[in-house]
Amino acid sequence: MTRGAILLLLLLAFGALRLPIESALAQQHRSAHFHEAELGLGLREQIGQLGFLAALSGFRSLVADVVFIRAHVAWERTQWGRVLLLFREATTLQPRSILFWDMAAWHMAWNASVAALHDPAQPNDLLRRKAQREYVALGKDFLERGIKNNPDRPKLYESLARLYKEKLNNHAAAARCYAKAAALPGAPEYDKRFAAYELSSAPGQEREAHKALRSLYDRGEHERLPTLLTRLKFLEHELNIPLDQRIAEPAK
Amino acid sequence: MIEPAVSVQNLTKIFPIPFRRTKLVAVRGLNLEVASGQVYGLLGPNGSGKSTTLKIILGLISPTTGGSKIFGRDSREVRSREAVGFLPENPYFYKYLTGEETLRFYGKLCGIRGHELRTRTDELLDLVGLRDARARRLGGYSKGMLQRIGLAQALVQEPKLLVLDEPTAGVDPAGSSEIRDLILDLKRRGITVLLSSHLLAQVQEICDRVGILAHGVLVREGRVEDLLAIENQTELILENATPELLAQITTLLGRSNARLVAQRQPQTTLERLFLEATSAPPHQE
Amino acid sequence: MKTPGHRPFSLSRVAAITGNTFTELVRLKIFYFLLLFALLLIGNSAFMASLSFQQEFQVLKDVSLGAMSIFTSLLAIVATAQLLPRDVEDRTIYTILAKPVRRYEYLLGKLAGVLLLLAISLLAMSALFLAVLFIREHMLINATLRETAGLRPAQVQEAVRSLQASAFNANLLPGIVIIYLKASLLASLTLFISTFATSNIFTIVVMVFIYFIGHLQSTAREYWLQQHGGGWLAKTFVALVTLAFPDLQLFNLIDDIVAGTAIPMAFFAQTAVLGCVYTSIYFFFAWVAFHGKEL
Repeated sequence: MTRGAILLLLLLAFGALRLPIESALAQQHRSAHFHEAELGLGLREQIGQLGFLAALSGFRSLVADVVFIRAHVAWERTQWGRVLLLFREATTLQPRSILFWDMAAWHMAWNASVAALHDPAQPNDLLRRKAQREYVALGKDFLERGIKNNPDRPKLYESLARLYKEKLNNHAAAARCYAKAAALPGAPEYDKRFAAYELSSAPGQEREAHKALRSLYDRGEHERLPTLLTRLKFLEHELNIPLDQRIAEPAK
Repeated sequence: MIEPAVSVQNLTKIFPIPFRRTKLVAVRGLNLEVASGQVYGLLGPNGSGKSTTLKIILGLISPTTGGSKIFGRDSREVRSREAVGFLPENPYFYKYLTGEETLRFYGKLCGIRGHELRTRTDELLDLVGLRDARARRLGGYSKGMLQRIGLAQALVQEPKLLVLDEPTAGVDPAGSSEIRDLILDLKRRGITVLLSSHLLAQVQEICDRVGILAHGVLVREGRVEDLLAIENQTELILENATPELLAQITTLLGRSNARLVAQRQPQTTLERLFLEATSAPPHQE
Repeated sequence: MKTPGHRPFSLSRVAAITGNTFTELVRLKIFYFLLLFALLLIGNSAFMASLSFQQEFQVLKDVSLGAMSIFTSLLAIVATAQLLPRDVEDRTIYTILAKPVRRYEYLLGKLAGVLLLLAISLLAMSALFLAVLFIREHMLINATLRETAGLRPAQVQEAVRSLQASAFNANLLPGIVIIYLKASLLASLTLFISTFATSNIFTIVVMVFIYFIGHLQSTAREYWLQQHGGGWLAKTFVALVTLAFPDLQLFNLIDDIVAGTAIPMAFFAQTAVLGCVYTSIYFFFAWVAFHGKEL
């Protein structure tokens, strides 16, 4: 009996010793995660008892994958409400997966919104447009929450920029998003270029746009792509840049 | 004076019974000495404390009070086990190992390796007659073969003391007579053997000394011949005695207060002695 | 008297027991579960045909690493749980401990045998997984190269880089090491439990229980540390859970690795050291429980 008591004490002492270390490690873990998946009651109801248990015991990613695949199936059947709910689960379970946020936003803002606009079941044009706007907003919301969870990854900024550009016609905001993406480590080269292109389409920002495009142009031959040259020429003309400061005519 | 192979002094072992107030006294105040070179038999019915005593001698369990030594070294020291080979009762070795692998495994545990280990393994397989079965897994061995590989395993580091717990239990008569022969062979080589058994006829044949345990107490101890002698009887074994001589003796007997018990050899058996010694009522705690 | 065996610790004795334990586990045909893993990988790839490449790689990695984690953990528990009870039941433990073998050498040999088995299993699974990943990656790259034959080299390179980035990630390797350390921790803890357990079923049930609680331990710890309200009973319970159970969630890095989170090397190192400390401490506990045990 005494040995049992000694062992129990040792076990608890070991627990006390590792407490601060593990607490600090978990803190680090969490700061890398930003937002830990909250495995609340709501989620348990959605994914079922078994899935919840699996999610608790280190299989969160697997459960998230299963949910994601179900969302994929729902999309193939164009059950938009179901797609939305399942993507909310998947992103809650695995908030670090860029793919989930990106796909969720794409389905909402591009697929569901277009489907809503052409919904034969809704005769009222005004209501169809309202539904379309709502789906775009849902897509934007997914991207914004995804960015909040993963502020260090350029991909979601790029998607948000695309959404601003293509769905909301807000080129200034799109430019800002591309610029943020470009500033992050691991961002592709074109983000900077895209930011400048978007700026050149934003009304009232022609000066800044010209400056950005010109600085890219000055970096050398590899940046002088056809779109860049066209946009730059257009701005030079718009802003009445003195001839000697304009770029050379492209070689024939 | 030569160090005894085993000496047990005032040994008591009490097992607490979980969740109960009572305790089980397995061995009480045991003193025992096994001289070097002897074959010593520890006898007793099931539950008399034989196995407990052997386990304490081997350091597998610790005594409540008292102690035990092997060649002067305390049983609780791991080094005391260098000179001992042990064969437990009804052993199952690793079924998935072959006979040869089994011996190699135990040899390595004793620090034998390389060429020495190989020759030692071969020797032992020959000794116990399992050369042909060396490449077979123990799962396919018969009871007698298992007992023999167990014996070989116990001998792997050439111990000076061999402890055998019920070496012939469950083995057929031919197998047990082989084991008996092996033990006698080992004795000739100067190895001390301490064995426990309830097969008394066999013990009688091979043991120099026996101790009888009952309810954890050593009730008889001594040389086999001494224990078997019936003190108030005399045995006359005559050769070529004529009927006249026998008649004369009978007449003489009639005149004295002696009584003729039997005309044939009046031998008791170890069995009778054993039953007599162990049927006493248990000690009250 | 012979010289060997005099040393208080002998590597060759431990190695003999390790080798024997490993042989036992191998001859029990435990490696057959690797076939199950292979089936899972192949089935997974076939099923993924309808997904995009990013989805495919993410699911492939999640499923493979998840399976590797659960298989090694299960193997650690099940293989270790039966070692001591079997030896005691068959009385083989008497023959071993009646040799000049110290009890910690016996325990260490047993544990090392399981750890060797775990290492080889995990290596085999990793090789299989990485091979499938590599093959899928190259199939996709070749397909992409064919599709983009007319495009500018810079764009093609971009596409290939993006493919490669979503397939293999150098963080996977330390992630696998952490899976191994978690399994070692579990094996060591199982050995400890089995020194006083009455049967191997008991050990396995207790370990499965610990496995689940271990993933929730951090929740209990935070609750306790943050001094929430609640009665003394709840507080004592939470404190006991915190102190007595290991924090297994800390060893669960693969989710984040698959999701692409960059995990700093220092963080890996700390987690690895923690895993080794756990394994050693639980082994020490096993020895404390075992060294005076009446056999």
